[in-house]
Amino acid sequence: MIRHLFTLVWNRRRANFLLITEMFLAFVVLFVVGSLLAYYQRNYRTPLGFAYAQVWRVDLDPGTQPQAGRLATVRQVMARLRALPGVVSVGRTSSNTPFSGSFNNTDVGAGKEGKGATRASGFYVEDDLREVFQVPLVAGRWFGRRDDGAALPPAVLTRDLAEQLFPRQSPLGQVVLRSDEQFRVVGVAERFRSDGDLEALRPVFLMRVSPQDTALGEASTLLLRVRPGAGALLERQMRTETLAIAKGWNVGITTLAKQRAAQLKEALTPIGALVLVCVFLVVNVALGLFGVLWQAINQRRAELGVRRAMGATAGGISKQVVGEVLVLTTFGLLLGLLVAVQFPLLGAFDVPAGVYFTAMAAAAAGLYALAVGCALYPSQLAAGIQPAVALREE
Amino acid sequence: MQTSAAPVLQLTDIEKIYQTKTIETVALHRINLTIGRGEFVSIMGPSGCGKSTLLSLMGLLDEPTHGTVAVDGRPVQSYSDKELAGLRNLKIGFVFQSYHLINDLAVLDNVELPLLYRPGLSGKDRRQRALAALDKVGLSARTNHFPSQLSGGQRQRVAIARALAGAPEIILADEPTGNLDSVMGEEIMDLLLGLNREHGTTIVMVTHDEQQALKTQRLIRLFDGSQVG
Repeated sequence: MIRHLFTLVWNRRRANFLLITEMFLAFVVLFVVGSLLAYYQRNYRTPLGFAYAQVWRVDLDPGTQPQAGRLATVRQVMARLRALPGVVSVGRTSSNTPFSGSFNNTDVGAGKEGKGATRASGFYVEDDLREVFQVPLVAGRWFGRRDDGAALPPAVLTRDLAEQLFPRQSPLGQVVLRSDEQFRVVGVAERFRSDGDLEALRPVFLMRVSPQDTALGEASTLLLRVRPGAGALLERQMRTETLAIAKGWNVGITTLAKQRAAQLKEALTPIGALVLVCVFLVVNVALGLFGVLWQAINQRRAELGVRRAMGATAGGISKQVVGEVLVLTTFGLLLGLLVAVQFPLLGAFDVPAGVYFTAMAAAAAGLYALAVGCALYPSQLAAGIQPAVALREE
Repeated sequence: MQTSAAPVLQLTDIEKIYQTKTIETVALHRINLTIGRGEFVSIMGPSGCGKSTLLSLMGLLDEPTHGTVAVDGRPVQSYSDKELAGLRNLKIGFVFQSYHLINDLAVLDNVELPLLYRPGLSGKDRRQRALAALDKVGLSARTNHFPSQLSGGQRQRVAIARALAGAPEIILADEPTGNLDSVMGEEIMDLLLGLNREHGTTIVMVTHDEQQALKTQRLIRLFDGSQVG
C-alpha cells in the first residue's frame, strides 16, 4: 500500500506541486525557528560556570570629584561594605560584569609571540572575586597575594581557551600574549559564561587586578557576595555607608539576578515575536492544507467509492487519506532536508551540528504532526462516503 | 460451463426506502431474487426503476431497509464493515458504466487495485495476477498507459480486468456498454459472455439494451421498484 500511495502522489505531482511546496516552506520555517530555539535551549542548559545568586553590583561614579584620592575612596568604600554583616566578600572588576550586556573582546595568543591568537572575552578581577563568583577551577589556582611580586602578571583561562592555545599540554606556567603584554597562566576555569544564559560558550581570559592597581581607572565597579535573604535594608545601608565616604559620588546598586532577568527578557522578546510569526505561518499552512484536502475529498468521491467497492474498509479509506498526506509531506520534507542539511555541512553560523540535527528532527516531527492534524477530519469525511451514492454521482 | 443450483446470492423480501425530511421514496419493493452460481442474469427496466440500487445491494455497497441479502446462503446484515469489505474483495467484482478507473494510475496499477486490499499478497503476486487479468481482456500491451490514453472500449476492458484480477465468483456490471458504441458494446458483451461460459463466473448485468439482455440466461425486469418479470 505504501508503494501504491507513493505512485499515486508521484503521478499527481503536478496537482500536488503547490501542496509539496507549502510543506517544504513550512519545514524551512520550522527548521529555522527550531534551530534558533534549539541553539538557545542548548546554551541555556549549559552551566554558567559561576554563581550569580546573592551577587550584587555597585557602580561608583565620581562624576566631577577631584581625581586625586579617588582610588583611596574606593578602597575605603570597599572596606566599609565588607564590614557590613550582610556582606560576604567584595571585589573590583571591569565594568563588563555578567549579564551587563557589555563586552571586552581581546585576542590572546600562546607564548611570547602570541601564536594561534584567539578571540576571547577579557575580564579584570580582584582576588576576592573568586569568592564572589565561586568559580570552580579545573587546574591551577586563582589569583592571590603571591602574584604581587611575580615577573609576569597572572592569568586564568577557561578550559576551551587553554585547549586552543596549548593543545595536548598543560597550560599552567605557560606564557600568553595579549595586546603586547605577557601573562603567565596560573589557573584554568571550566567556563565563565558572562555574556548571558542564551549566548554561546566562548573563551574567557581573566586578568588580575591588585588592590592598588589603577588599571580599571578611577571609576570602579564592585561586585559583592551577600548573605542569603539580603534585601532592601542592606541596599539602603550600603548606599548610606558608601555616600558617607564617597561624598558627591553617584552610586548605583543592583543585583546580578535582576540584570540576568532583564537580559533574558530582552533576548526572549524578539524570539517570542519570531515564534508568533512562525505559529501564524504554520496556522496558515494548516488552514490551506485542510481546505485543499477537504476539496480533494469532494472531488474524489467516485474514486473512494470504487475503492470501497473493491474491498477497502471505511478505516482503510481514512488511513489512505492520511497516508497520502504523509507521503506528500515526505516529498516536501525531503526537499526541505536538502536545504537544511547544508547548514551543518557548511558549519553555518558556528552553530554545533547537533543543534541543526535536533531542529531537523523537531521540524520533521512538527510537520508530520501538522499534516496528520489537518488530514484527520477530511479522512473521516472520506471514510463516511457511502460507496453506493458516490458511484452513482458521476 | 454448467450452472449450479446452489444460490450464490439470495435476496429475500428486499425493500429499499430513501427517506428525507419531507419525502419518502420507495426504490425497491418486495424483491425476492436468487442468483445461482455460474448464472448470467440481466436486469432491465426504465430509468429510476431501482436497477442500480438492486445492484448496490447485491454488491453489499448498501443495506436494504427491510429484507435480507445472503451470500452463499449466509445473511450478511449482521456483518461488520470489515467483514463486508472482505466479502466484496474476495467474492465480487464491479464493472461500471463510466468505468470508474483512477485516471492518475497506469492501467496495471488500476487493475491491481482490488488486490491491494487483499492481505497476504506480495507485490509480485499482485503484478502477476493483474497482468494475467489484462491478458484475458487483450490489453497486455497497454499496461503502462493511463486511462486518458485509451478508447472507451479499452477503458471498459481495463475495468473488467480490474474486476477479474481478484478472481471473484460474481461480477456485477452496471450498464457496462452504456457509454460505448455498438461495436465496442458487442466486444464487451462477448467478453462477459466468454467469462461466464469459460470460467463459470456469475454475472449480474444491468442494461438498457434488449438485444444484449436476450443473450444472457435470465432476464429480470423491474418497474417502479418492483420485479415485473
